[in-house]
Amino acid sequence: MQRSLIACFFRASLCAEGLVNEDVKRTLDLSSHLAKITAEIQLANHGASRVNGFTLALEAELAPHLAFIGVKGEEEEDESLELKETTVHGQSGKFFEAQLPSSLAPGAKLRVKVETVFSHVLKPFPTHITQAERQLVVFQGNHYLYSPYPTRSQTTRVRLASKTVESYTKLGNPTKSDETVEYGPFKDVPPFSQDAMKIHYENNTPFLSISSITRTVEVSHWGNIAVEETIDLRHTGAYLKGPFSRYDYQRQSDSGISSVKSFKTILPASAQDVYYRDEIGNISTSHLQVLDDSVEVEIRPRFPLFGGWKTHYIVGYNLPSYEYLYNLGDQYALKLRLVDHVYDDQVIDQLTVKLILPEGARNIHMDTPYPITRSQDELHYTYLDTFGRPVLVATKNNLVEQHIQDVVVHYTFNKILMLQEPLLVVGAFYILFFTVIIYVRLDFSITKDPAAEVRMKVASITEQVLTLVNKRLGLYRHMDEVVNRYKQTRDTGALNSGRKTLEAEHRTLSNDISALQARLKSEGSDLAEKVGEIQKLDNQLKDLVCRSCQEAERLVAGKVKKDTYIDSDKTLSGKRQELVSRIDSLLDAL
Amino acid sequence: YVSSSNAGGSVSGNGRHSSPAGCGGSGGGLSGGLTQPAGWQSLLSFTILFLAWLAGFSSRLFAVIRFESIIHEFDPWFNYRSTHHLSTNGFYEFLNWFDERAWYPLGRIVGGTVYPGLMVTAGLIHYILNLLHVTVHIRDVCVFLAPVFSGLTAVSTFLLTRELWNQGAGLLAACFIAIVPGYISRSVAGSFDNEGIAIFALQFTYYLWVKSVKTGSVFWTIGCCLSYFYMVSAWGGYVFIINLIPLHVFVLLLMQRFSRRLYIAYSTFYIVGLVLSMQIPFVGFQPIRTSEHMAAAGVFALLQAYAFLQYLKDRLTRQEFQTLFFLGVSLAAGVVFLTLTKPSLPPLLRYAKIHIPIIASVSEHQPTTWVSFFFDLHILVCTFPAGLWFCIKNINDERVFVALYAISAVYFAGVMVRLMLTLTPVVCMLSAIAFSSVFEHYLGDDMKRENPIKQHPFYPVKNSSVYSKLIVTMLMLMLLMMFAVHCTWVTSNAYSSPSVVLASYNHDGSRNILDDFREAYYWLRQNTDEHARVMSWWDYGYQIAGMANRTTLVDNNTWNNSHIALVGKAMSSNESAAYEIMKSLDVDYVLIIFGGVIGYSGDDINKFLWMVRIAEGEHPKDIRESDYFTPQGEFRVDKAGSPTLLNCLMYKMSYYRFGEMQLDFRTPPGFDRTRNAEIGNKDIRLKHLEEAFTSEHWLVRIYRVKKQENRQALDHKLRNIAAKQKYTSKKVLPSRFH
Repeated sequence: MQRSLIACFFRASLCAEGLVNEDVKRTLDLSSHLAKITAEIQLANHGASRVNGFTLALEAELAPHLAFIGVKGEEEEDESLELKETTVHGQSGKFFEAQLPSSLAPGAKLRVKVETVFSHVLKPFPTHITQAERQLVVFQGNHYLYSPYPTRSQTTRVRLASKTVESYTKLGNPTKSDETVEYGPFKDVPPFSQDAMKIHYENNTPFLSISSITRTVEVSHWGNIAVEETIDLRHTGAYLKGPFSRYDYQRQSDSGISSVKSFKTILPASAQDVYYRDEIGNISTSHLQVLDDSVEVEIRPRFPLFGGWKTHYIVGYNLPSYEYLYNLGDQYALKLRLVDHVYDDQVIDQLTVKLILPEGARNIHMDTPYPITRSQDELHYTYLDTFGRPVLVATKNNLVEQHIQDVVVHYTFNKILMLQEPLLVVGAFYILFFTVIIYVRLDFSITKDPAAEVRMKVASITEQVLTLVNKRLGLYRHMDEVVNRYKQTRDTGALNSGRKTLEAEHRTLSNDISALQARLKSEGSDLAEKVGEIQKLDNQLKDLVCRSCQEAERLVAGKVKKDTYIDSDKTLSGKRQELVSRIDSLLDAL
Repeated sequence: YVSSSNAGGSVSGNGRHSSPAGCGGSGGGLSGGLTQPAGWQSLLSFTILFLAWLAGFSSRLFAVIRFESIIHEFDPWFNYRSTHHLSTNGFYEFLNWFDERAWYPLGRIVGGTVYPGLMVTAGLIHYILNLLHVTVHIRDVCVFLAPVFSGLTAVSTFLLTRELWNQGAGLLAACFIAIVPGYISRSVAGSFDNEGIAIFALQFTYYLWVKSVKTGSVFWTIGCCLSYFYMVSAWGGYVFIINLIPLHVFVLLLMQRFSRRLYIAYSTFYIVGLVLSMQIPFVGFQPIRTSEHMAAAGVFALLQAYAFLQYLKDRLTRQEFQTLFFLGVSLAAGVVFLTLTKPSLPPLLRYAKIHIPIIASVSEHQPTTWVSFFFDLHILVCTFPAGLWFCIKNINDERVFVALYAISAVYFAGVMVRLMLTLTPVVCMLSAIAFSSVFEHYLGDDMKRENPIKQHPFYPVKNSSVYSKLIVTMLMLMLLMMFAVHCTWVTSNAYSSPSVVLASYNHDGSRNILDDFREAYYWLRQNTDEHARVMSWWDYGYQIAGMANRTTLVDNNTWNNSHIALVGKAMSSNESAAYEIMKSLDVDYVLIIFGGVIGYSGDDINKFLWMVRIAEGEHPKDIRESDYFTPQGEFRVDKAGSPTLLNCLMYKMSYYRFGEMQLDFRTPPGFDRTRNAEIGNKDIRLKHLEEAFTSEHWLVRIYRVKKQENRQALDHKLRNIAAKQKYTSKKVLPSRFH
């Protein structure tokens, strides 16, 4: 009720405004698969009062296909005007209220440029064509500017994709030259006047549209922003009828002229590690070109897209975060494109944006360039996450190139949380090593294995025996040196003291070994016998050492000749060698 | 190359270091502690094992680095698809999975006809990783599963060899198995197949078996049973275990090596293993029904009888015992005779029945050539008999086992190329033993003296043998180095192609990727009806199901020969006969592989004779192989080819519009590069089919089966309503008003 009241009020105000479209130049650009309608309007205020805004109207047939509408002043640098959707009582269609920056005085004039883009309004006709045929489309629109104000004079200029035009409505005897059809000028057209315009012409431009795109942006405070776009692509032109012949496609240049072989996607200049893949792996038919101000990816779907065919792929890349992420203390702002370029004249039927912020981001606030539907925030878990990263989800339908604008996300993030992930890794390794240490150091067996224990005991004893025996052999070697020195210096005192220390140390070592031997015996190991044998051999060895010592004394004393000494020394050392090797072999067997 | 030669380095390194530990013979592990601190030794072996793992893992990554992380070949695609199903729908849903997209219209009960071990392993790893928030895609888990498991195989080979010989040989064996091509061929990254994990399970089961025979402990035997259970769940090759272990027990009995340990180990293993293996749906009651498992049962009975006789021996008089003994022996012999002579021989041989064309048509079921022995095992094939000799020379219970393992594996590997895989581990172990013994002999002595007694003045230095030692050592190291180089080369050149993606190289070394398979499969996936049925030869069934996600008629799980024969018949009949078959099978699309444009030899025309043979096996009245040959007995596609061939569906589909195509200026139009012939039938018209898609290099061609047209309109005149009288308005405008 209230609504209709407001509408009434608006209608009343509209009539009272006394605005008139003095001069209208409409351009219908139908050269791509979009209908881009630009109207340059000269508005005049013929009313009595100042006017703060004006109303734009769209035909009911075209309105559902509206992708973008923008109003600008005549200067290029003028800010675009703010638009608010309204309704007009009694009239069908879609209406927008444009706010003027400064009100328009009575009698004053104003030039504005209204830009509208419609998607899916060019209907292929015939709807099914063969590979060899060309694609014809039909556009149905309005000869006049659909406006709530009377129009004094207007012209309509239609740009087509090719010279071939099957038919076009002939209102006011339009002129056709090459790729354009010009209507008008029409004089004094009343408000809300409609007259069906129908153009049937050849249009072989790629009728590509993105049926859905999911853009996932993952922000990491470690310096990286990962962007991934999952794209469903469809050729919305005339359906391919009959066979697809690869032979014709390869050999005849005009075969499948409306099909899509490849297109270019422009990524930000700092994009790195670009990948292009789908469910079954990397798509190898792509080229990457790094330019000064952008990165161009030539996206070639696995197969050429004919009418009605579709494909699905994923493009992803990394961006350095310093170009897009700004911070002041704990306050962060992320500024990057809400939707990016996929191909020229793109149409996106459905967009889903997912912004994954770092774990621990709070007070999230999103500034979008145009209204967009926010869904429930989600949580995303990935590497080393504990309580999940907040995900902002937003969706919007029917987007075109004009929607490539920046979104700003503000949030606060406590920098100390940056330490969480490294600490987690450190902690995990700490626990791992600690468990290994615990496991190795402590005995967890529930039963005791006496045999193994004995074995271990024996092993440790034998190891001791081994070192002792080696030490003892070392003593003999030392004694040899003493004897040699004695032979040169003839210092009996040194010899005697050396012999004494040998005796003393030998005794302690031998005692130790016997003690160990006794322990071995008590453990019931047969190694005890071998140790005993070593002891026996050692006794002989020691005798030999003593004898060589005595011989040396006798030599020094002059009791034996040098020759006989050398002989006896040789036999002695021979015996010693034999004994040592026998001890060695016994030791080996331990 | 670095990683593998690194492994070679560690191979030679461990041979030297471990030899002091090996001086105690079989009890190497214990006496090792005498000469070296245990910590040092375990650190060293840990490092070597880790390096072996790393080398094995990285040398399996050639395909990933050259191409991408992708599932290879055919069977892995099915495994991947079912793993995907498992990870998205859960375990029980997987067990109950009835796949209506395969074997149309029959369908396939996947849960009950697969060995689920592989999928469950990958699914479990994926589940655990995701639980820890490591968001790895299931595909990457599948791709890298086999390389990771090759490391586990190396560890279990190390353990087994350590039990058989000593630690040094164990480390050497681990290094060998990590890089040996015979095993790499089945476990490169992307080759997501049962064998990848089964060899680990095999080796680990054998390790636990040897351990349980050695200790006679039920603990180890239960471990062995669990490992056996895992093996059963993973690969049909488990029959190798269930025959080899009884054989081991049987031979030990013959050798008078019966012991309580053996009795405990085998009795527990048989009972628990049997019960566990029957838990796998695909195996079900086979272990008590089929002949392959009867040897195990027979040996079990024999062992009980033997143990019973042993028990009686203590209680009876000699006379009584003798009669009983003869009775028992004859009974036992009877049982063994029955079990062994019943066709229990072909445990793995079952595949190799040459007279079934569908099995003979698979290239990996061909007998092994001598070349491939050397190609896959290199120097190991020469050294492993030496290792076997060492084992037999110092025989004990577990070495009997390894000897039997070696002999049986050699036999199977000789029968079928594919079974090279079971030979590889034992060859690695025995070669390691041989190398280890040689190193011990030629390096060990010196090293041993070095430790405590080196400075001894009386020690005789044998200068004379130093040079010979040096030469032998150098020679051995050279061999090992060459082995490492060969392994890397073979892996890189022969076993690292995904076969889904082809690559060709230009003269300047740049690479062209031929991605036709995926192009066509992806086209099917995106641009055909979700329930469209695709007919193709069975080789491509799994790939179509995996990549195109469409219903197939036959696939690589060749369980229904007559269905395959029907497809073969459709391919080899003329178009109208084929149309009848295709209509009855509700076929929407037909997919064929055609290599004539790029010279790809594995295409359908080259496989065509197998289709004809398989079709002939089921439909001998309609299809005769001889019809497809020229009177001279040649198989030719040119003008001289037999008319049956030149008009069959496969020929027509392969060469449709190819006759117009001139590939280069030296050859006439329609020149087939694969068969180097100008095709004989250039004017091919299709009546019931139409070309739906052909990939960029014509490698994959897909035809749409036209729906039946409406019947011809009857020849009749349009109904004509003749106006009997003219109704004109009687009112006439009075003209006078004008």
